[in-house]
Amino acid sequence: MNALAVEFRKEKRTGVIPLLPAVGILGAVYAFLNFLVRKDALLGLPLAPMDVLLTQLYGMIMVLNMFGIIVAACMIYNMEFKGNAVKKMYMLPMSVSGMYFCKFLILSAMFLSAVVLQNLSLMWIGMAELPQGAFEMGTLVKFAGYSFLTSMPVLSFMVLVSSRSANMWMPLGVGVAGFLSGMALANSGSGLLVVHPFVIMLKPAVAMSAEPDITVVTAAVIETLLFLGAGLWMAKNLRYE
Amino acid sequence: MEYIITTEQLTKKYKNFVSVNNVSLHIRKGSIYGFLGPNGAGKSTTMKMLLGLTAPTKGSFVIDGRHFPEDRIDILKEVGSFIEAPSFYANLTGRENLDIIRRILGLPETSVDDALELVGLEEFGGRLAKKYSLGMKQRLGLAGALLGRPPVLILDEPTNGLDPSGIHEIRNLVKSLPDLYDCTIMISSHMLSEIELMADDIGILNHGNLLFEGSLEDLRHSVGKAESANLEDVFLTMVEQDNTNRKQRAKL
Repeated sequence: MNALAVEFRKEKRTGVIPLLPAVGILGAVYAFLNFLVRKDALLGLPLAPMDVLLTQLYGMIMVLNMFGIIVAACMIYNMEFKGNAVKKMYMLPMSVSGMYFCKFLILSAMFLSAVVLQNLSLMWIGMAELPQGAFEMGTLVKFAGYSFLTSMPVLSFMVLVSSRSANMWMPLGVGVAGFLSGMALANSGSGLLVVHPFVIMLKPAVAMSAEPDITVVTAAVIETLLFLGAGLWMAKNLRYE
Repeated sequence: MEYIITTEQLTKKYKNFVSVNNVSLHIRKGSIYGFLGPNGAGKSTTMKMLLGLTAPTKGSFVIDGRHFPEDRIDILKEVGSFIEAPSFYANLTGRENLDIIRRILGLPETSVDDALELVGLEEFGGRLAKKYSLGMKQRLGLAGALLGRPPVLILDEPTNGLDPSGIHEIRNLVKSLPDLYDCTIMISSHMLSEIELMADDIGILNHGNLLFEGSLEDLRHSVGKAESANLEDVFLTMVEQDNTNRKQRAKL
C-alpha cells in the first residue's frame, strides 16, 4: 500500500493521472456527438440497434484509448529515467518489481475510469436515442468488459517496453508501429494474429457484433499476464548498469 | 579490528574487459575511507556492486555482517548512497524528492528538513529539482544519501560540479559526519587534497586492481616518500609505477 502511495506522489505534475480519464471524456464526447449527427444513418444500418451503438462508435474510441495508453505508458517511465531517479530506486530498500506492478495498477485503474466514462456516454445515448426497448444494459456492460480486457495486452506490453528504454521516443515508436501493423492485420482471418497485442485491441472495433469472442478474450488475458510477468521478472533480475 | 565493509576477491568483467579484478577491501567501522584511482580504474563499478546496481562476476562482500544478495533490503536500509551523478525526479521539488525517499525508508517527516539543513538546501526545498543548478542537484543527491543518518555512506565523487566554497562545505560536512553520528564513509574523489584532509584510510585502484590499502603514513612508506609528501605525489608515483610495470609485462 505504501508503494502505491509513493507511486502516486511521484506522478505529481507529470500529467499521467489525468491523461487517461481525459481520453475517457474525449471518447464519451465523441460518441455523443457522432451519434447525434449520424443517428439516422447509423440506425439505418442492417444491424441490431445495440450492435450499432457498441460497434459503430467503438472504432474511434478505441484509437483514442490506444494512443492514450501508449502516451501514458511512455510518460509513467520517462519520469523515472529523466533525472536518473530510477537509479536511486534501485539503491533504496524497496522492491523494484513492486514499483513496476504499482505503475501497471495505476495505469489499469486510470484506463478503467476512461472505459467507464465512455460507456456512461453510450448508456445515455442508448437510453435516450435507441428505439423504445432496444437498449440492453447487460449487453453494454458485457461489451465494456470486453473492450477493457482486449485493451489490456497493449497496456501491459507498453509498460514493459517503456520500462526497458531510457529514451521515450523508443516506446513511442514501438507503440505507433504496433498501431499501424495492428490496423493492417486486424481484418485478416488468421487466428494466429491474436498473438499481436494491437490486433487484439482492434478486434472489437472491426467486428459487426457486440458479442464477445471468447478466443480473443482468452488470448487477451494470457498476453496481459505474460507481458506483466515478463516485466516483473525483468524489473527484479535485470540490474541497473 | 572491526570492519563494517569487507569484499572478497570482488571481480567485474564486461566481455573481454576486466573492470574490477579480485578486489578485497577492508573498511573500518567509524572511519572515512578514501577510494582513489584514475578515470576508469573501477571505483564506481566497485561501489555499484556494493549497492547492487551491478552484479559481481566473481567474489562476494559483506556489509555490517550482511551478505548480498540475500540481505539486499537490510543492507540498503543501512546504506546512504550517491553514485556518479545525482538522481532525482525532475517533476518534483527538492523537498518532495526527499519525501519519496523518506516514505520508502519509513522515516519521520522531520528527517527531510534535517537532511536539507545538513546540505544547506533548506531555502530551496520548494523549488523544482529540474530548476536546480548543478551544485544544488549535487547537494540534493547528498541529502538523499544522508536522509535518516544511515550508518554507512557510499559517496562517489560527491563534490563534482560544486564551486570552491561548496566543495569546502561538503568536505567539512563529510568530515564532521562520523562525529555527528556514528557512521562509516566510503568516498571516492579525484580531488586528492580533499581526501588527504578527511580520510582515515586510503584504497588505491588502478586498472581494476587494488594497489594499496591502509593509512596515509603507510602509503608514504610503501612508495618511499617523505612524511611531508602530499597524497597527490604519492598517488601519482604509485599509479605511474604500476603503469610502467604493466607496460613491461605486456612487452614480455
